[in-house]
Amino acid sequence: MAGSRLERVGTVFSRVRDLMCSGVMKPADKPIWFDVYEAFPPKKEPLYVKTKTRTFVNKQSNVPAIFYAEDKVRAWFYEHYGTGSRSFDLSNSNFVSVCQRFVLKYSELKSHSELEDSALYEMTAKALLSEGITLKQRARHPVSLIKAHVHTHTHTHTPDQLTCTHEEKQNFQGTHGK
Amino acid sequence: MAFRALTKGLFGLRHSRGVTVKYSCDGHFATAASIQSPQPQTDDVKEKILQLPLKSPDYFRVSELFSLKDLFNARVHLGHKQGCRHRLMEPYLYGCRLDQDIIDLDQTMEHLQLALNFTAHIAYRGGVILFVSRRRQFCHLVETTAKECGEYAHTRYWQGGLLTNANIQYSPGVRLPDLIVFLSTLNNVFQQHVALRDAAKMNIPTVGVVDSNCNPSLVTYPIPGNDDTPVAVELYCRLFKMTINRAKDKRRQMELLHGLFTPTPSSS
Repeated sequence: MAGSRLERVGTVFSRVRDLMCSGVMKPADKPIWFDVYEAFPPKKEPLYVKTKTRTFVNKQSNVPAIFYAEDKVRAWFYEHYGTGSRSFDLSNSNFVSVCQRFVLKYSELKSHSELEDSALYEMTAKALLSEGITLKQRARHPVSLIKAHVHTHTHTHTPDQLTCTHEEKQNFQGTHGK
Repeated sequence: MAFRALTKGLFGLRHSRGVTVKYSCDGHFATAASIQSPQPQTDDVKEKILQLPLKSPDYFRVSELFSLKDLFNARVHLGHKQGCRHRLMEPYLYGCRLDQDIIDLDQTMEHLQLALNFTAHIAYRGGVILFVSRRRQFCHLVETTAKECGEYAHTRYWQGGLLTNANIQYSPGVRLPDLIVFLSTLNNVFQQHVALRDAAKMNIPTVGVVDSNCNPSLVTYPIPGNDDTPVAVELYCRLFKMTINRAKDKRRQMELLHGLFTPTPSSS
């Protein structure tokens, strides 16, 4: 039976169509999928695309970074309170973490009052405290920066040194979504 | 003759199906059925059966099988990290959240609908469908899926000439698959699966789940989506199984309706 093994020239459909047009492939040999492809073609033609061996040094990516307005609040929360008192329960799809409750309470208070950010944060913390969630203040920047310095030089990870820095925490939280 | 998968012993040769098709072509009905259909009329009826589904955009109603919420719950939108991203997958990405690529589920919905519709039509026309996946985690699942819908699977090491050298590796006149479905387009060393290129060489259309680190250019009907999470792969397997079974049931129904099956005493 006639065929064309040039996968880099045109698409599967174009090759078979041209083989039939030219008479090399008889109508009786028409593949099953031909009519179906003709009736329902794909959104993009499956042409072979040559991969560029030499890429630009500064690749401009067209994929936008996803950030929400609440991320600012989340960043403040993690900076000041660390991971939060409760761990994430990933098995429950309706789970609301401590950080998320903080964000929800913050947006609620923001819609009601006209205070500025820092005061609003304090208010939110107090509101959550009244609801029964205790937020433990973690060590602030100067101390943790020194700790980070120590970490980068000594690559040992003993259990009591696991109170990691803000950046590492951010990255750790980022992988929780899977 | 049917195309034999390398998973020995799991799936037998499918002579019967090929033979049935041949019989209806020749019109050699043994018993004196109520329909004494001469050959041109049988061919006409067969033409009608084959052409009718092509007229409606979603004849098998595959869009009912899944929703955007189902895809989200199955974590289909989660891609790999930014560094693993393939240049050609950028149009299918919604964005990048803290360095993890998020696949655009609106596009996935459209692509999945097209792919399932195509698969359904191929199954309706009695095409041979081969499921390929080189992920050891899902090898058993893919094989059971193929078994349950009466199709074929190949989840082991792909020898070089399976498609391109089939006449020698199997026997002359082997029937090659009419559609290859990839549950993951990569092989164990994160390179593109050889079957993708070979299918393009042998003019076989492909349907494949492409993750953010895959090359979607050679896949005829790509489905941008997560191919690593078990929930997502189970969803794909379930969807493919349901479409293929639906399409085959529809075909049997149509044939019964038009009286092409002699054994049953049904009138046209």
